[in-house]
This record gives sequence, structure tokens and C-alpha cells, in this order.
Amino acid sequence: MRYITRRVGLFVVTLWAALTVNFIIPRVMPGNEATAVLATFRNVNPAALHALQIEFGVNVHQNLVVTYLQYLANCFTGQFGLTAQRVPVLTEIAGKLPWTLALVGVTTIIAFAIGTLVGVLSAWRRGGRLDGILPPMLFIVATFPVFFVGLLLLFVFAVTLNWLPLSSNYSIGATPSLSLSFVGDVLTHAVLPGLSLVIVTAGLWIYSMRNNMITTLAEDYVKMGRAKGLPSWRIMTDYAARNAILPNLTGFAMQLGYVLGGSILVEYTFSYPGLGYLFYTSTTDHDLPLMQALFLVYTLAVLVCVLLADFLTAGLDPRTRDA
Amino acid sequence: MRRLKPITLMVVAGVLAAACGSASTPSGGNTGNTGKVGGKLLIDNESGSTWTCQFNPFNPSVNITSIGFVYEPLEFINILQTNPDGTPKVTPWLATGSSWSNGFTTLTMTIRSGVKWSDGSPFSANDVVYTFDALKADSALDLNALWAADSGPLTNVALQGTDQVVFTFNAPAQSYFYYVADQTPIIPQHVWGSFDQSKLDTQADANPVGTGPYLMSNCSQDNIKYLRNTNYWQSKPGHPVPQVAEVDYPAFLSNTSANLYLAQGQAQWGAQYIPNIQSYYINKNPSTRHYWFPPTLNVSLFPNLTNPLLGNLAVRQAIAMAIDRSQVSQRGESGYEPAANQTGIVLPTYKAWYDKSLDTLTYSPSKAEQTLQSAGFTKGSDGVYANAQGQKLSFTIKSISGYTDWDASLQVITQELKAVGIEVTVQDETSTPYTNDTQGGNFQLAYGEMPVAGPGPYYELRPMLFSGSIGSTNYERYNSKATDALFNQYSGATPAQQLQIIHQISGVMAQDLPVIPVTEGVDWYQYDTTAFGGWPTQSDPYAQPPVWATPDNGLVLTRLYPVS
Repeated sequence: MRYITRRVGLFVVTLWAALTVNFIIPRVMPGNEATAVLATFRNVNPAALHALQIEFGVNVHQNLVVTYLQYLANCFTGQFGLTAQRVPVLTEIAGKLPWTLALVGVTTIIAFAIGTLVGVLSAWRRGGRLDGILPPMLFIVATFPVFFVGLLLLFVFAVTLNWLPLSSNYSIGATPSLSLSFVGDVLTHAVLPGLSLVIVTAGLWIYSMRNNMITTLAEDYVKMGRAKGLPSWRIMTDYAARNAILPNLTGFAMQLGYVLGGSILVEYTFSYPGLGYLFYTSTTDHDLPLMQALFLVYTLAVLVCVLLADFLTAGLDPRTRDA
Repeated sequence: MRRLKPITLMVVAGVLAAACGSASTPSGGNTGNTGKVGGKLLIDNESGSTWTCQFNPFNPSVNITSIGFVYEPLEFINILQTNPDGTPKVTPWLATGSSWSNGFTTLTMTIRSGVKWSDGSPFSANDVVYTFDALKADSALDLNALWAADSGPLTNVALQGTDQVVFTFNAPAQSYFYYVADQTPIIPQHVWGSFDQSKLDTQADANPVGTGPYLMSNCSQDNIKYLRNTNYWQSKPGHPVPQVAEVDYPAFLSNTSANLYLAQGQAQWGAQYIPNIQSYYINKNPSTRHYWFPPTLNVSLFPNLTNPLLGNLAVRQAIAMAIDRSQVSQRGESGYEPAANQTGIVLPTYKAWYDKSLDTLTYSPSKAEQTLQSAGFTKGSDGVYANAQGQKLSFTIKSISGYTDWDASLQVITQELKAVGIEVTVQDETSTPYTNDTQGGNFQLAYGEMPVAGPGPYYELRPMLFSGSIGSTNYERYNSKATDALFNQYSGATPAQQLQIIHQISGVMAQDLPVIPVTEGVDWYQYDTTAFGGWPTQSDPYAQPPVWATPDNGLVLTRLYPVS
């Protein structure tokens, strides 16, 4: 119990720190929403600056403490106000969230599955041909920046071979529906961004899975299984992999932050209209309300996942509960 | 919409090869119009973000999707075309005419009768008065500072009789005519009057009611569909206006996807920067695909005049003489953006205002060095000139990251300046800090342009040189009482006097070199005549051609017609 309360306490403190940083950073960035509109959009008379300052409340000097407390209250009640384009922030986020969630969710699961499987197999036949090629290769690829892999894929499959679309989440002019053709269209558009995320993240799973597996394979109960004459695939899956996968499961949650960060770059590279792309445009447009809400969404996602991972560890490993 | 001069995925788009092709013979004139209605026009303009489906014409981040399509101005002022006397070409629109009185302080506009809003209500002069009153009630709407500017603000707007609106200014205000007549979209009182008048700026306006040629029919994040307004006021029996049945405006997040769409022939009206346009776009169908890049604004080097070295005229002269503008145009801008001249008049667009006798500065590296030497600068062992105190002519140039054509131009400029012993380093910033730094004077040299063009060089030179604009668009911090006086006279002057004033300001540009124009920024514009005719062309420049140029887009939409 003490473990749980300590974790929750840490969660609250981290969240508060993140919220405060989120409050401060945009305020020390150069410029404000009004100058950002002038800098970003064409055909705006510089004389509009005054009008824009009134619109965004830029020169309204409010007490910083009051603003801060208001901000904290708004964060908890979910009142994020309007974006620079005068759309409710929540509407904007709700419109993009499914795309990112689907892209990141599916690719993380695929990367996890591939990484774990390759990790298990290569540890099982340690020193074998598979072990010699795949893990090192994928691990090297995992160190590439995700946008680099994305650009490479774009160049080969979209530009040179022209097999897959360059950008966006579905064809221009297509009407969203549940029809087979539309779903197919969405999937073709997701292949390249998804693939770049899978390529870059799969390697990390292989590494930890392979190492865990090797340690587990040396355990006595594995020898025991062999001695009993069990088929080797059963020893591999039921005896070794089942135990070796535990650290990876908790790591799965931790990994989310990395993948979400990667999704910003991937979405930018592929002009994929999800949360990451929104994050990018909100930053360049200095769209304070949107930026803060998005930062909150990202922070919360990571923090909650880490908390869940802690709970999971507590459930799986009795030793942590006593600590 | 976004001003980003994209390279975004230049790697992908292929290596930029220098293509200096000239626009192919235009054939977008008014021939072959059979008067029939039909077709679906696709617009191709990188928006950088998805559509918000808000159509508030006073929200600068979304108004390019409503002005021209749905909302209309009182009169069209074509910034690309001038009358023989130098005044801009005006086309009456929701107003049938206008006249100045009381020494250019009273503007009377006669409002057209028989126009209907798209919901069937009649349009009247009351809507015009209401629109301007709304700008006063909620200053956040007053994007052209009509009610609160540094000179010649509006003091009253009133109805006269039933169909006239009288605008009263507190000083001669001719230069405000462009903002009143062309840049203010008229909104319906019976719709907008029921909203909270102090919060009109946050009004979403998801179902806009306007007088324009198109009705917004359906909007999603990725596309806006407009259908022709069957009751449009310009339609006459046998002469339907507009003639294009449907217009689609997809949201393109990247330049690459927008360019691809144009190249594949799926869109007809482009406002795109396309590297190597000849082979990427034109050559795929040279008989129907065309481009025209009219220059509207100077792209200049802004020396910070508060810097003691750059405040020295000799240094600015040396810089100006050391830069071979045609080289910059060819190598930096692939020839798409022409070379500028030191008088600050953008050619050929504003040729009526150009005085050739003032344009004497020529490229001469040797003269540049002589100028520095006679001003007491000596060349150090590192090849860089320094003054007697040992201050070296070594500067940073701020530019905007992502504007690759500017980066290429700056590379040429850097080499050319180095050849005459002036050392410069380019510093790229994203647009918001760049705007902040240039407006705040936190730079040594800056590469950039004024935000908007207008009907005549005055609309570029005043924000650039008027001392009241220090802190906003007078980046270089030029402060001259004599020049300010010239600008102040402009709004009360006759066309002939205005021409004189601009010549004198050109003289200031040529003598004082407060700003050093290098190339002329152009409007990117491509059009495909396979399905539609009636496009603005170099020989018939009836409107500013890119689709983001509001309200000119409305004029183009009423002129386009389907070809069989």
C-alpha cells in the first residue's frame, strides 16, 4: 500500500511540475499570438496588430499569479478556450486524436510483437544465423531518427516507385465512411508513417527481450523443462518467454512517451493530420491555448502510462509491494 | 494562406534544377465562352493546416475561405492595373460608385440596389453602415485600423438618403479608400446584428450568409465545397454568373502534396511555389498549363540604421553596389523573381510610378571598394574592411528558416559581399521570432519584405519608411521628417501630385539607401485551361491571380467559365 501511495504522490508532484513548466515555457517564447498571426498569414495589414492584440488579449496585463491559478483550474475542468483560429481547443484535439491514437497504437503493438518475437527467436538460437543478422540490423536502424527513415521510405516508395501516397491521412476529396474503399484508402496512407515508426521502435524491444530471454534460459526451471523432455517450442514459449516478457510489458507503457514524441516527427514528415502535426503547427503559430492543451495531453498520457506500469509491476512482483 | 516559401520536402521533390523558362503564351482570355454553366473547379493552395470550417471574414486565419466566395467588397481595386493617370483600376461592386469631397475627407458611396443576400433578404446601404459600425464596436475586427490609426482615421459612417453611405475622416484619407472599398467585406445586419456585438471576432460563422457568387455547401477538415449562387446579382437572363457550378478547396498540409496534385492535373487553380516548374508542371501539358508570377513587393536587405556602421551611408552604398541583383535573381530565385531596383518601385507592376532617371545605382564591386576606402575604411589582413577604430564590417543577416529560395539568394549575396571585403553570416529564425526581432530592431541586417501590397508603391514604401511604423514594419528604423511629410501629403494630393511624391520618395530610396531592394517577390500562380477559361493573365491582368488574394479571387470566380 505504501508503494502505491508513494507512486500516486510522485505522480501528482510530477504532474504539477509539468503543468507549471507548461505554463512558463510559452510565456518566455519570443512573440505572442498577435505577432504570430501577422507572421504566419498572408494578406494581413500590419495595422491589424492592434486589432489582433485586443482579440487575443495580449496587452491585457493580468496578475501572473491569478493567471496561473486560473490556468490550473482550467486544466482540471478541461476549459482550454479557443485556438488562434477561434475553434474550441477540445474540438480541435478531438478531431485529430483518433488518427494519432490509431497510428501510434497499431504501430506500437506491431513493433512490440515483431520485436518480442525476434528477440525470443534470436535468444533461443543464440549465435545462429537469425541472431547474427536481425537484432544488430534492427538495433542499428533504431538509432536512426524517425524522420530520416520516413524521408527515405517516402523517397523510395512514394516518389521513385510511386506505390504509396506521399502524405495526408486519406485521398483528397474522399468522403469518410466505413466503406471498403475508404478504409483501404486510409490504410494505404498509413503504411509509410506506420512503417517508419515500426522500423525505428522494433529494435528497442528486440534488445531487451533478447537479453531477458538469455538470462531466463539459464534458469534451473528451463533445464528442468528440458530434462522432462518437453518439446522445445513449449519450453521456449511457456517456460522462458513467458517470464522474460514481464519487464517488457512494463516497458511497454514507458515506451509510449518515446513513440508519441516520434509521432510528432512522423506526422510532420508525412503531413499526417494528427495530434503531432497539430502540435507542430500550434508551436509555429504560437497558438498558446492549443499548445498548452496538447502539452497537457502528451504529459498526461505518459504519466498515466508510467503510473499504470508501476501498478502492474506491483501486481506482478510481490517484492515491490514490501518496499 | 501561409506565407511559408516551402522546401519542406525538397529532398523528396527532387533536386532543384535551375529552370529559367518564361511563361508560355497565355490563352486564358475571354474567348470561347458559350455562356453555359457547369464543371467542378479545384483549388490548389497549401494551407498548412486543416480547415476549421469557420468563415468569419474578419478572422485573418480563416477569411481566405469566405471573402470573394461568399462575402464581397464595395468596389474592387486592382493592384496590378493602373489607369493612364496612375490611379488604380476600380471596378464597382456592391457600390455603384464613389466620390470624394471636402478635400478628401468625405467619401460618399452609392450602394447598388437589387442585390440579395444568399438567404433571400434584400441587401441595402444599412448593411454597409452596420458593417463599419461593427468594426468600431469590436476593435478586434478592425484589421485595417480604420477607426484607430495614426493618421486620417474614420470618424463617422452614416446613411444618406436610402442608398448612399457617407464616410467622414478627420484628415485627407485617399489612401484609406483601398481599405474601405476593397478590403472590408460587407456582412448582413439581419444575421450579424443578432450576435453579441462585442464578441463578433470570435463568432464562428459556420454557415455564412453573403452576397457573393458562391454558397458554402459543405465543409470538412479536408475540403470545402462551394456551389454557385443561383440568385447571384450579376446573373442576367442568358448571361449566368458565375458559370462554374462547383468549386472545391482542399486543405493541403504540405507543399509537396499540393504540387503533386497540380502536376497530376487534378487541380486547375494553383497558388504554389513549384521548384523547376517547367519540367514538373508545364511540360506535362504545355498547351493548357500556364503560369504567371506578377511581382508585387520588394525582397530587400534591411540595414539596422541604429547600428553605427550600417548607419554610415558609405557602407550601405558599398553593400548596394556589391550585390549583382540579376545574379541573385537567377541563381537564388531560379529567375522566377526578377531583380529589384534601388528606387523601390516594383516593375513592371508599378511602372507608371517609376522614374528611370533616379535609378542610377549599378553593380560595381570596384566602386563599392572605392566608396569604402574614401570613407576611411581599410582592408585588414583577413580581407575584411574595418574603420579607424578597428570595427570590422562583419554582420549577421536574419532571415526566415524554411524560405529556401531566400537562403539561396543570401548565399549569392554573402559571396558577393565577401568579394568587396564585407563579411556577412546568415542567421535563420522561424517566422515568429523573426517578426519579433525585425520589428523590435534586434538585428544587424535582415532579409525580408513588407507584409502586404496595395494599389501603388505608396502602400509598400510607407510602412517601410514612415517613422510612425518604427516598431512594426519600419524594420530599418529610418526616421526622416522630410520623408514623413511627403507621406502625410499623399492622402490629400491629386494623382499628378501623388506621382511627384512617389518620385521624391524614390529619390530618398536611391540617395539615402535606407533599404536595399534585391529581388521582387512574386505571387505564385498556375492555371490549367483544359476545363476552364477566363483566367487572369499577363496580358489581361484583371485581378491579382492567386486564390488567397482576397477579394480578387471573387472577381476571378465570376469570370471563369467551363470550356467544352
